[in-house]
Amino acid sequence: MTKGRALKMSAGAKVPAARFLRVWLVVAVSCLAWPAFCGGERAYIDITRPNFEKLPIAIPDFKWQNRREKDLGREMVGTLRKDIEISGFFRQVDPALFPGDAETIGVTEKEVRFDRWKKIDVEFLIRALYEVKGGSLRLEARLFDVVNGKRILGKVFEGRAGDGRAMIHRFVDEVLLTLTGKRGIFETKIAFVQVEGNVKEIHVVDFDGENPVPITRDGSISLSPAWSPDGARMAYVSYLEGSPKIFVLDLLKGSRRLLSGYKGLNIAPAWRPGASELAATLSRKGNPDIYLLTDSGSVRRRLAGSWAIEVSPSWSPDGRRLAYVSGESGSPQIYVLEVEGGEERRITFEGEYNTSPAWSPGGDWIAYSGLTGGSHEIFLIRPDGTDKRRVTRGGGSNESPTWSPDGRMLAFSSTRGGRSAVWITNLDGTESRRLTKMAGSQRLPDWSPYFTDR
Amino acid sequence: MGRKTMKRGYTELGGVFFILMCLAILSACAKKQVPIQPELNLGTGIRESGAPAAPPAGLSDWNDPRWKELGIYSEAELNEFLERAQSFENEDLFFDYDAFVLNEDNRMVLDRKVDFLRRYPAVSVTVEGHCDERGTNEYNLALGEQRANSAWQYLVNSGIDPDRLSMISYGEERPIAFGHDDASWAVNRRAHFVLHY
Repeated sequence: MTKGRALKMSAGAKVPAARFLRVWLVVAVSCLAWPAFCGGERAYIDITRPNFEKLPIAIPDFKWQNRREKDLGREMVGTLRKDIEISGFFRQVDPALFPGDAETIGVTEKEVRFDRWKKIDVEFLIRALYEVKGGSLRLEARLFDVVNGKRILGKVFEGRAGDGRAMIHRFVDEVLLTLTGKRGIFETKIAFVQVEGNVKEIHVVDFDGENPVPITRDGSISLSPAWSPDGARMAYVSYLEGSPKIFVLDLLKGSRRLLSGYKGLNIAPAWRPGASELAATLSRKGNPDIYLLTDSGSVRRRLAGSWAIEVSPSWSPDGRRLAYVSGESGSPQIYVLEVEGGEERRITFEGEYNTSPAWSPGGDWIAYSGLTGGSHEIFLIRPDGTDKRRVTRGGGSNESPTWSPDGRMLAFSSTRGGRSAVWITNLDGTESRRLTKMAGSQRLPDWSPYFTDR
Repeated sequence: MGRKTMKRGYTELGGVFFILMCLAILSACAKKQVPIQPELNLGTGIRESGAPAAPPAGLSDWNDPRWKELGIYSEAELNEFLERAQSFENEDLFFDYDAFVLNEDNRMVLDRKVDFLRRYPAVSVTVEGHCDERGTNEYNLALGEQRANSAWQYLVNSGIDPDRLSMISYGEERPIAFGHDDASWAVNRRAHFVLHY
C-alpha cells in the first residue's frame, strides 16, 4: 500500500470476498446453429396480454453420455425445474404423463416426437444431454416449441463438473430472454446483513438462496450493502473504525477502501446509474442530509436537506431523479427530487411512517415500506405519487424492498416467520418464498444487477 | 458550532485511535448497570446487567498522577469521583417515539452531567444516540444522531467545551433491552454517555 494514493486502504483490506465471482463460471457458450430466436430480439410470447395463462412446459430428466453421474444429473434437472417454477411463467406438466423416459425421449429436433407431446397439452419442452469427462462437464440444452414442432433455442455449455448449476441458471436466463425479450435473473445474487448476536456482517447468496457467502469478516456492525451498477463493487456502512463510515469492496480483487469517513454519520450509500457518483446521508454539517459524493469520496454538493432527517436515497434508472425519506413534514415520508432542477415533491400522504424507497429498474414504480395497521408493509407507488398498491400481506414487519434487475420481483426483509429473514415476492404479492434459512437474522437485502460476462 | 470536519485521509495513528475508541466504547457498554428509571416496569424483556464500571486497571491508587490531573488528591476524593462517574454513565436520557427533543427530565439529568463535567474539567464524553427496533435501520441511524446531537447541543450551550465531547449514533443496532414490547422499546430510545479519563 503506497501512502501517496488518493484512496486509503484500511487495515485488513483483504477480505474473504467474492472469490465466488472469480471462479464463477468459465464457460464457453455457443449457440447451436439456428437463424432466429438465439438472440431473442423480440418476444416469442406476450406475457403482458391481459389473459396470460401459465405456459405448460415439460422438463424430463436429462440424458447422459459416457458416465451416468446420477447426482449431478439430478441436481441439474432439479435446478432447472426450480428456476422455471420461480420464473412464474410456466406450469410444469406431471412427468408421469411423459411419453417415455430420459433415455428414450428425443433430444434434438429430429428425434423429438412432437405429436406425442401435443397429445398431453404440452406447449414447450426442454431437453438436455450432459457428458462428464475427467473433471469437465459438457451440457447441451434445447428449448422446443411443441405446438409448431421446432427448436427455438439451443445452447452448449462447457466447464468444470462443479459448474452444472451455474450452466442451468445461464440457460434459463436465455430461455426467458428468448421467450419474453427480457433476460432472467437466475445468475443474480442478493446481498444482505447477517446478524448473529452483536455482530453484523454482509453476506451474499444466489437468487435462489443457495451458496451463502460472507463478504465481510470485521467482527463489527456492517449495514446497508449496495451493489454498484456493474456489480463489481459493494458499498456498505461499517462501524469497524468506531463510527459509521462508508466503505467500498472491490469484489473481484477482494480489497476494501474507505469511501466516506466524515465526522458523524456516513450512511445509506446509493450508486448513481451512469455516473461515478453516490448519494449518501452525512451529518457533517450537523444535520443528517443527503449529499452527492464522487466515487473517491469527495463531496460534490448537498442534494436534499431540511431541519429534519433526510435519508435512504434511491436513484431513478436514468440517474436524474432521486427518491428519499424526509422527516420535514413531521413524520418520515417519501419525496422525489429532480436532481438538476432541485424541485422536491412529497409523494406519500397516507400513513405516519413511510420509508425505504426503491426505484424500479424500469423507472415505473417506487417500492417502499409503509406502516399501516400497526405493521410495516411493502407498497408500490408511481413516481408521481399515484396508483398506490399494497404488496405484502403475510404478517410480520416487512421492510427494505429491493428490486430484481428484471423488475418482476422484490426481495425484502420480513419477520413473518419469527426472526427477520429475506423473502422474495412477485409484485402483486400472490407468490412469496423465503430466501434465507440461516441461523441468526437477515436484514437490509440488496439485489445485484445483471452481471456482464467477464 | 465548532465541530471540525473529519479529514478523509487520516493517518494510521488516527486509525489506531479510532479502534481504541471503539474498544473503549464497547467495554464501557458491556459493563454498565441497568439504567435508573424506577417507574418503568421491565418484567417482560431480557435485561443486560453487569458489574459496575471499574476504574481503568492500575489506577485505583489515589496517588497515581492521572487522578491529580482530574483534581483528585485523596482516597475520599477518588471514591467520590468514581461514584459520581458511575452515576454519570448510568443516567441515560429517554425519548418519545420518533422524537429527539429534550423534555424536562432530560434537562435535569443533563444539568447534573454539566455539574460533573465542570467539577472534573479533564474528562471527556462520548454521547451515544440509540433507537428502538421499530422503523427502518437507516432512518434510525439518523434519529439516533439527532438524539445525541440534542444532548450535545445542551451541554455545549451550558458552557462545556465542545472539544471534550464527541457523538455517535448506533440507531437500533445496539439495544440494551430485547423484548418486542413498549417497555423494552422505551428503554432503547435513549442517549447514553460514556466517560473517558
